[in-house]
Amino acid sequence: MRPGGRAVRPAMRTLVLPALIIGFSVVVIWASLQLDLSPPMIVGESMQPRVFPIVLMIINMGLAVALALQYRIAPPKQIRLEGRSTWGTIALFGVFFVLTVYVDMIIAIAATVFLMCLLWGERRLPVALAVSVLTPTTVFLLFDKVLQIRFPRGLFTNWYYG
Amino acid sequence: MLDALLAMGSVVFDPYLLLLIFLTTIVGVIIGVLPGLGATTGAALLLPFTLTMAPVHAIAVLATLYVSATFAGSITAILINTPGTAAAAATTFDGYPLAKRGEAGRALGIAVVSSTVGGVFSIIVLCICAPLLARVAYEFRPPEYFALALFGLSMLASISAGGAVRNVIGGVFGVWLATIGAEPTTGIERFMFGNYELYEGLSFVPVFIGLFAISELLVQSKHLNRAIVAVRLKAVMLPSREDYRRIWKTVLRSCGIGTFIGVLPAEGATVASMIGYAEARRWSKNKEEFGNGSVEGIAGAEAANNAATGGAMVPTMVLGIPGSGTTAVILVGLLVHGLRPGPYLFTEQVDTVYQIFGAMLIANLMFLAMGLYAAKLFARISLVPSKILWPMVFALSVIGAYALHSSLLDVWVALVFGVIGFLARRHGFAVAPIAVGLILGEMVETNLQNSLKMFDGDWWLIFTQPLAAMFLFFAFLGLFGSAIFAWLRARLWSSD
Repeated sequence: MRPGGRAVRPAMRTLVLPALIIGFSVVVIWASLQLDLSPPMIVGESMQPRVFPIVLMIINMGLAVALALQYRIAPPKQIRLEGRSTWGTIALFGVFFVLTVYVDMIIAIAATVFLMCLLWGERRLPVALAVSVLTPTTVFLLFDKVLQIRFPRGLFTNWYYG
Repeated sequence: MLDALLAMGSVVFDPYLLLLIFLTTIVGVIIGVLPGLGATTGAALLLPFTLTMAPVHAIAVLATLYVSATFAGSITAILINTPGTAAAAATTFDGYPLAKRGEAGRALGIAVVSSTVGGVFSIIVLCICAPLLARVAYEFRPPEYFALALFGLSMLASISAGGAVRNVIGGVFGVWLATIGAEPTTGIERFMFGNYELYEGLSFVPVFIGLFAISELLVQSKHLNRAIVAVRLKAVMLPSREDYRRIWKTVLRSCGIGTFIGVLPAEGATVASMIGYAEARRWSKNKEEFGNGSVEGIAGAEAANNAATGGAMVPTMVLGIPGSGTTAVILVGLLVHGLRPGPYLFTEQVDTVYQIFGAMLIANLMFLAMGLYAAKLFARISLVPSKILWPMVFALSVIGAYALHSSLLDVWVALVFGVIGFLARRHGFAVAPIAVGLILGEMVETNLQNSLKMFDGDWWLIFTQPLAAMFLFFAFLGLFGSAIFAWLRARLWSSD
């Protein structure tokens, strides 16, 4: 899947995107209908908490239909599928999540920055290493010393905070 | 008024604030020259750093960043044909051709001077108009605020990026996001799915960091191999007398256009610069020069985009309705620092308000100096490779998202909204409408509820309130005006 190689056909998107919006709206309406009802003496002449989100989603469904009609008149431009760097970056968010939860947030940031530099084409390892160590360290010290914000406990912060 | 002017002038005697403005102007110019990192992303990233500052310092920092980054986009627009910010896109049309002819210094000089005039003009208008509008806004009750918020949302239909329908879908999605958490009147939990960290709703800061900074990171990952050809720059030159003679009318016109566009809710510097450029061309006697290095084209775009910065602060501070993506972040800054935007800000916090205006004025003068004497240096920063810059932005984003509430949930929210923002932009949706919708969501719902209570459930009585009816009419025009005019024009044309 190289960038610029394949592209999504516009005909598909004329229906897929509005359908997704309508599907999302239906799910939200369903979830809204599951919300508790408030006693009338609290709500008074106003509306139940479920009403407003339902009204919003009905408007969104109308707009999705308008979008589908608009796409039929003027089909959207072809979307070039993203390359390795984009999907790889999103995957790195997952790596960051796992490392933050199970190891340490600051180490997770350093590791993600390092891997992102390499993924985005940085071939000079010392440069990638310097960026990945200096950036989180500088920002961490700034937030810790100046803004006095405590970071979540982990491998590095346990050592740092004692 | 004298008190207000004294408060504005007091900025000069606050060395700490002056230092902050100076440093933020540098940061703002750096953010402005780095393609992709615009004023909105910069403000979202800088907001967590202001947490421990006094409110006036914090908002002054954000406002300074806004004006300096909006100007700085023109440096790369002229030198490397890549606008540092979307608001400088129109500057590339004539700035780069003029620079290629060996007149980069002249192009930058015109851009700097036009930007400064535009910025100063809009701050003068801000100082005069904001208190007047605040006096009118004192009379607003729930129906008027509800109608006004709807008007703000309707203006999303006409913002530059995306299409009208897609922008409104984004706005409605943003309003829905604002319903997440406990409903304010009844306390009933909505869409929290058992997560009590969401009880007070989604926090604005991580959502904004996700929508603006992380989504931009993903967009930039698609353009890693973009080649940059920089034009040589010897020195920035002040415009000659002949240049002033040619541009002064254009600059004045663009000042008016930019300020007016900025005042309109949800419109911003990008729309202003495009209209400023188009009007400069329309009124010019040298139309053939446009696109080939016209000094009027540069002046028209630059004066308008910086004039929009002051204009956009008017609805933000007076009505709590953001005038642009960046002012949406500034609005969040006001809320985070305990300053409730609205007409009462102008009676209860008048010193703070005018100190912020004063800071914006000084920022304009500082970037004039920086633009004239350090543009060459700043232009080099724009050549920092993406593969180094954006991983650093990732680190700043996640730590910034965490900082406000020391909550890891905020970090996950930022990442999720980064991906949502990226996917939205991939399909031609702009992210600013989602941010504006999120901010206006509570205002819409709460004021609708209060209006219903006022009128014993008769919602149609909202239309009997003159100001509310006027705003609703404008909202209708904002949504359907262009379609109605197009239809009318087609009918009249076919009947001819």
